[in-house]
Amino acid sequence: MISIKNLHKKFGNLHVLRGVDLKVEEREVVVIIGPSGSGKSTILRCINYLEEPSEGEIIVDGITLNKQESVINKVRAEVGMVFQRFNLFPHMTVLENIELAPVKVRKMSAKEAETVALDLLDKVGLADKAHAYPEQLSGGQQQRVAIARALAMRPRVMLFDEPTSALDPEMVKEVLDVMKTLVKDGMTMVVVTHEMGFAREVGSRVIFIDEGRIIEEGTPNEVFYNAKEERTKTFLSKIL
Amino acid sequence: MNFDFDLIINSIPLLILGAGVTLQITLLSVGFGMFIGMFMGMARLSKIWAVKMVATVYVDFIRGTPLLVQIFLMYFALPVVTGQRIDPFVAAVTACSINSGAYIAEIFRGGIQSIDKGQMEAGRSLGMSWPQTMRYIILPQAFKRIIPPLGNEFIAMLKDSSLVSVIGFEELTRRGQLIIARTYGSFEIWMTVAFLYLIMTLTISRLVDYLERRYKIDDKH
Repeated sequence: MISIKNLHKKFGNLHVLRGVDLKVEEREVVVIIGPSGSGKSTILRCINYLEEPSEGEIIVDGITLNKQESVINKVRAEVGMVFQRFNLFPHMTVLENIELAPVKVRKMSAKEAETVALDLLDKVGLADKAHAYPEQLSGGQQQRVAIARALAMRPRVMLFDEPTSALDPEMVKEVLDVMKTLVKDGMTMVVVTHEMGFAREVGSRVIFIDEGRIIEEGTPNEVFYNAKEERTKTFLSKIL
Repeated sequence: MNFDFDLIINSIPLLILGAGVTLQITLLSVGFGMFIGMFMGMARLSKIWAVKMVATVYVDFIRGTPLLVQIFLMYFALPVVTGQRIDPFVAAVTACSINSGAYIAEIFRGGIQSIDKGQMEAGRSLGMSWPQTMRYIILPQAFKRIIPPLGNEFIAMLKDSSLVSVIGFEELTRRGQLIIARTYGSFEIWMTVAFLYLIMTLTISRLVDYLERRYKIDDKH
């Protein structure tokens, strides 16, 4: 579903990604962990071209990414993204937030988009908030709307960029629960997170990244309990 | 000094007509200026070097030269090049629109830049194009934030439009001049002219205050 070869990303003199190779199969849930500044978010942001790779090849669902707007927009329509800070559109209701892209990009009729949106709101447990504005919702609720918004495009892959890091502790679970239902539905997911419980429970693979390189990867059990690399062990000892 | 109150009473209808023309030229200029300014403001933020350069030169040139000189350029210099006389009204509105556009471009640029970067990313990540994201997500939010500076620009333009009197266009200031030429009532007429400008600017600034308050109440919507 996603194939990344020799991905490099430089921000000026800062060499953030130094040759990342990664394959994500259909229905796989890949969890990326690593210290802050290690480049984990940058990988996600390169997959939908929010950052332009300095070097390397990215293929998503058979499409090789390049600078062309039409190609980028096509890939983005197939790749849903959930941000750490939700990024809901504050001037629109919850329903409008979800309907916008399907109508403008997928050319869905307004009626159809509404059906889809209400369905998804029901799925994330917020059917009663359809006409609320984002500011009237808690952080956890906003993030669940953001997930519904991404799902409304019927993406083939979902990217989660630290989806629970900006949440109060009591709201983490409701977001993770929604993500788990997606896993059950067979969604292909790449998740940058520090939620080790989530990784252990539903992750098919865990990838530890440091200083722009993949240091170690394996099943959650392999990485969490039998890490081979010293750097992985040091990192895990700090967060577990 | 004799204060000729009758002169004021007799002149007021003509001056009010002039004020109407002033208001008309201001509305047209700021209207066109908003159109120009919106695109130039976005162009100033473009990643395409040439687009950004054109917008920057435009804004710098207009903001770095006096409006009076711009009006002269439009009314006296341009016809020399084109060989066509230009109607004072067209010259006045064109010069003022181009002038207003440059200031409004900077207002739009600031407004767009004040919107969180995550908004553009969220829009783009959903597959929407840059123009779509601008239109449906960034500009509606930016527009609410720039109402106060747009109001200021409107008031500034209303006052500066008095400069078009130099090309003989009969707005409020020019009407005043003409009445004085006939009656010699400098004091009465200039006081009345000033008072009419004041009424217009105060009314507009109250209106902008009201709009600003209304949008503050439902800030985000």
